[in-house]
Amino acid sequence: MLAANVTKRRDGFALDAAFEVGRGEALAVIGESGAGKTTLLRLLAGLDMPDAGAIEIDGQPVYDLSRGIAEPAWRRPIALVTQDCLLFPHLTAFDNVAFGLRAAGIPKAAIDTRVRGALERTGAAAFAKRWPGTLSGGQRQRVALARALVLEPALLLLDEPLSAVDAGTRATLRGDLRRVLAMQHCTTVHVTHDPIDAITLGDRIAVLEAGRITQVGTRDELFRRPRSGYVATLLGINLLRGTIVRDRHRDVVRTADGDIAVSAVDVEGQVYAVVNPHDITLYRDAPEGSAQNLIRATVTEVTPQPPRGERVRVALSSRPPLVAEVTANAVAQMGITPGVELYAAFKATAVEVFA
Amino acid sequence: MHRPPAWRDVLLRVAVAVAIAVLLVVLVLPLIALVARLSPLALLRHLGDHDVVAALRLSIATTAIATVAVIVLGLPTAWLLSSVEFRGKAVLRALIELPLVLPPTVAGLGLLLAFGRAGLAGKVLHAAGIALPFTTLAVIVAQIFVATPFFVSAATAGLAAVDQGYLDAAAALRATPAYRFAHVMLPLALPSIVAGAIMSWARALGEFGATITFAGNLAGRTETMPLAVYTAMQTDLDAAVALAVLLVVFAFALLLGLRAAPWAVSIGGGRARRQRH
Repeated sequence: MLAANVTKRRDGFALDAAFEVGRGEALAVIGESGAGKTTLLRLLAGLDMPDAGAIEIDGQPVYDLSRGIAEPAWRRPIALVTQDCLLFPHLTAFDNVAFGLRAAGIPKAAIDTRVRGALERTGAAAFAKRWPGTLSGGQRQRVALARALVLEPALLLLDEPLSAVDAGTRATLRGDLRRVLAMQHCTTVHVTHDPIDAITLGDRIAVLEAGRITQVGTRDELFRRPRSGYVATLLGINLLRGTIVRDRHRDVVRTADGDIAVSAVDVEGQVYAVVNPHDITLYRDAPEGSAQNLIRATVTEVTPQPPRGERVRVALSSRPPLVAEVTANAVAQMGITPGVELYAAFKATAVEVFA
Repeated sequence: MHRPPAWRDVLLRVAVAVAIAVLLVVLVLPLIALVARLSPLALLRHLGDHDVVAALRLSIATTAIATVAVIVLGLPTAWLLSSVEFRGKAVLRALIELPLVLPPTVAGLGLLLAFGRAGLAGKVLHAAGIALPFTTLAVIVAQIFVATPFFVSAATAGLAAVDQGYLDAAAALRATPAYRFAHVMLPLALPSIVAGAIMSWARALGEFGATITFAGNLAGRTETMPLAVYTAMQTDLDAAVALAVLLVVFAFALLLGLRAAPWAVSIGGGRARRQRH
């Protein structure tokens, strides 16, 4: 459990945030760069101290200005995973994971088992003996995650752990992260600028705008009632609700508005399916070939995206309703304006499914 | 396209070549003259001399002790200079670097007035029955005095180059400040620390002026290699040359090791920098 109420001022910027995260719950904090996400995480970690406020982890105060409590990072029951991993280059993957246990003075015999277990869980066991310099971005992130989880922290802090990983590995890593977090069941604060991360990994989502939390809620609440245009744009992705149906040939998510083909998934029952607007291609005529999801649609709205309008959001009346994001070029070439009828296509592998 | 005339290019190349050639003559010719003076056989004969062996042994022992002392005493200072902001930091830096530019005879004079029999600290030492001047210990103190800045500068630079991100990561992994220093800062700055230690050692090995002023020139007790060269020059030039060649070869080997060893590429905290991807 985490209860935080912190303010931090630095030239021209002020962070002022109060929130709670339940035991075992994952809170995703979404915001643009400069919104104060990393500042917030550093305050929670104890790497920086707030100007005022209080932070309590599992009922224990780690910071309280009025009581003069200000525990440094190494005395807080936390673990931190950052975007750039920061694996120690002079230690092997195994020794990196063992670092925190050794620093805490855990007996040697226990360390070995715990490190192996953590590497196993994050899928990093195969490269335990390798040096960080020889690992790929995704592999490094798995080791960094093991290094954090092995401490069994009361509070896990994630600072954009997926953003430095290339797009191909990202979806796999995100799925694995979701599984590991569900298994570990630890209270998590995950800051990110990526709505897909927030929606797939957060039990609740907090929107951070210019140092203030403007909305907190479950993904359904945020989608149904975005409290500002900012939240709506930020979350401008396709979130569908449905049931997994296993066909002989393929898996589909059956929504109220029709079936969506998805790649093989290991969840059952009621699920969410997320489609990034970038992954949707628009066609005037039905294309030949491969995209497993091809949906007839009528354009309802065309919105050029800031800052320069090179990307354009196209809202579609379709079953299910979708938003696509295409280039201004494509809009001009295909003459996309409200009322135009066309086809929206996306691959089964572009659909992220989670329970 | 406008190209500068070819003759300017040629002129520039000639100027660069001449500068390098002149510098090499000034720096390298004396070394060649030393090495070329004696046949290998004559060299070996002189190196077998009783006095030479004694001086060599004294030099190795005193510089080894001095280097260890410089590391042990210098590391906390390097940590302070690299990691803590405080008033008067520039003054402390300048004080520690002063021996780099002071004439060693001035250093020796200062040491004598501080630790000599009537000196500031010398009186206390004398009362305790310790006499420093003209002893082997004085040789070591003189070497520490002149060699310290080489180590502290290199170690400070190495420690300061360690990415703060690694230290934060360690702090978030239960590491106390002391644990962070021992297990993150030191290993990441190790190339710079080793480089600084080698430079200190080389400097201590060549130390002459402060030693002869503070510790005198007593065969077997304070007569290190550089002093032995000086003594030998009065009577037997070839013996001096033999000693000098030995010093040159040893110092060159040290510096070559510093620059050409596999880890030398990363001197200056190369490993301490964050890996980008």
